[in-house]
Amino acid sequence: MSAARRLLGQPWLWAWLGALAVWLATAAYTDGKGSGEVLSAALTFGAFFVIVALGQMFVITLGPGNVDLSIPACMTLAGTVSMKTMGGAAGMIPLGLALALAIGAAVGVTNFALIRLLRIPPIIATLSASFIFQSAAIWWNRGLRVKPPQPLADFTTAKIAGIPFIAILVIVLALVAHVVLTRTLYGRGVIAIGQNMRAAHLAGIRVERIRAATYILCAALAGLCGFLLAGFSGGAALNMGEEYLLSSIAVVVIGGTSVAGGFANVPGLWGAALFLFLLVTMLNTFGAGAGLRMVLTGLIIIGVIVAASGGTRKT
Amino acid sequence: MRIKAKATVLATVGAMAVMAGQGVLAETADKRIALSNNYAGNSWRQAMLRSWEKVTGQAVADGQVAAADAFTTAENQVTEQAAQIQNLILQGYDAIVINAASPEGLNGAVKEACDAGVTVVSFDGIVTEPCAWRIAVDFKQMGKDEVLYLAERLPDGGNLLEIRGLAGVFVDDAISAGIHEGVAETGKFEIVGSVHGNWAQDVAQKAVAGILPSLPEIVGVVTQGGDGYGAAQAIAATGRDMPVIVMGNRHDELTWWKEQKDANGYETMSVSIAPGVSTLAFWVAQQILDGQDVPKDLTVPFLRIDQDTLEDSLANTEAGGVANVEYSLEDAKGVIAGAM
Repeated sequence: MSAARRLLGQPWLWAWLGALAVWLATAAYTDGKGSGEVLSAALTFGAFFVIVALGQMFVITLGPGNVDLSIPACMTLAGTVSMKTMGGAAGMIPLGLALALAIGAAVGVTNFALIRLLRIPPIIATLSASFIFQSAAIWWNRGLRVKPPQPLADFTTAKIAGIPFIAILVIVLALVAHVVLTRTLYGRGVIAIGQNMRAAHLAGIRVERIRAATYILCAALAGLCGFLLAGFSGGAALNMGEEYLLSSIAVVVIGGTSVAGGFANVPGLWGAALFLFLLVTMLNTFGAGAGLRMVLTGLIIIGVIVAASGGTRKT
Repeated sequence: MRIKAKATVLATVGAMAVMAGQGVLAETADKRIALSNNYAGNSWRQAMLRSWEKVTGQAVADGQVAAADAFTTAENQVTEQAAQIQNLILQGYDAIVINAASPEGLNGAVKEACDAGVTVVSFDGIVTEPCAWRIAVDFKQMGKDEVLYLAERLPDGGNLLEIRGLAGVFVDDAISAGIHEGVAETGKFEIVGSVHGNWAQDVAQKAVAGILPSLPEIVGVVTQGGDGYGAAQAIAATGRDMPVIVMGNRHDELTWWKEQKDANGYETMSVSIAPGVSTLAFWVAQQILDGQDVPKDLTVPFLRIDQDTLEDSLANTEAGGVANVEYSLEDAKGVIAGAM
């Protein structure tokens, strides 16, 4: 009984239940035809959501007002520059990956410099910086799509026993993030800052150092996502990051992380990412029009969030 | 202001008389044309801006107009573009060429421009204000052409997958309406699935990968441009037979088509609007300033690529860009004459 109650109290449960429910509804509609393939597609595309959402989760957990809105621009810049530098050459892949991560880190440093040195609120700082990053991406290659090296494209689309390789990779990444969040000084520091920045400071936590590391981590993950997504979809495009702005926040919140900070949750990210993809797939399969689809998406997301925050939350 | 303008015209006429022997187009030599553009964040728009730069730069160098400056708003917002147009009026441009963020939202600012004596020419994203000229794309016909082509290629008909654009944009509604009209008229196809690809390869790839497993066999994919390659990737990943995917003139779409053509004789067609349509709008504005009689509604020709023109088109398309043509003054005169 108490075990069941403890399970019901898990904030990640609702996202997973939601994902399961929409998947079953889709499968029921198509008499189970192709539901395995749908799941495989959900794992692939969910993986990209999870990469950026991991970074966003750490940032949001820092407390009220902390959010990174430069993720789409950072993805585009990292994807564009790394694809152009590699120029389709397989031998350049390590350099391209390093470049994407370095661009991400530089974006994070810029964001935090604006926040810390110029004392601009994170929402404004990251949003305005994103114009600079986006313009840099336009300037770098004027929107031309450079094809990724073939081994990178093969790597991002590979499957092992029907499970996308990239999903396995991101599951491992999520496990690492979970350990970092719950078992390391850094992770506990992020949570403590989110609960009470002043108390955290008095307790001896190097608040600003941890905040800086978090913004850099978030942008580096966005850079990684841009690199992999460009490899997956046949090149970087100027608008490739567009839908990752709201999605990254939605995945974090639906996954059971507190939007007010101080409480984070990694398992919920995967549940929420699968849920979002399967929800759109379900409504597409039902043949719902775009208007109805958006209304239902909004209503269902609200429903899951309300359900997830039903009980009093213990941190 | 008016008097000054009149004096300028007189001076110009005088100059014309002097230069008439040299055959220089001096009627508009002192005219300044501005481009008000609402969005630059994809490859089509980037190509559009580059075409504008190339053609108008030459026109300025040749003394056909005094200036042709391009301005792009940062946020793709109606209010922002309206403010931009008001600024352009104050800066004294003789004509404003607009790719509008909304068909109705800018009408107030456009009316102000007309009242201030500024010629307004809208293209691609047109405005409905009657005082402006419109260089419209018959998007509905474009959608219908796709289905008519498929009807010819696939006499037995079958199931189609429709990839739509960005929900809520009139272009998406118009192309889709044309596709559905074509399906109703030919009577041999059924649209079994419809997803929004937002004119982007990665979004289309994701949406198609999601819906594909639940679909029966499909013989054709009707698209809106920028989404064909993503659809091909998603379908290839499932190991299904490759349906006829109508392409949208992007370099990656044409490259993929060429690879398939060489490998297994794959046949399809590709249709879209050349980004160089901005240069057509430029010449139309120049013609209006030149005092020519130009009908208010003009139609842009499609840029269509077929099996036999694929190689040439691909060779002329910048890697990673989109198939393009730039229009000349003669082309503009032809379009104007065609609409008379």
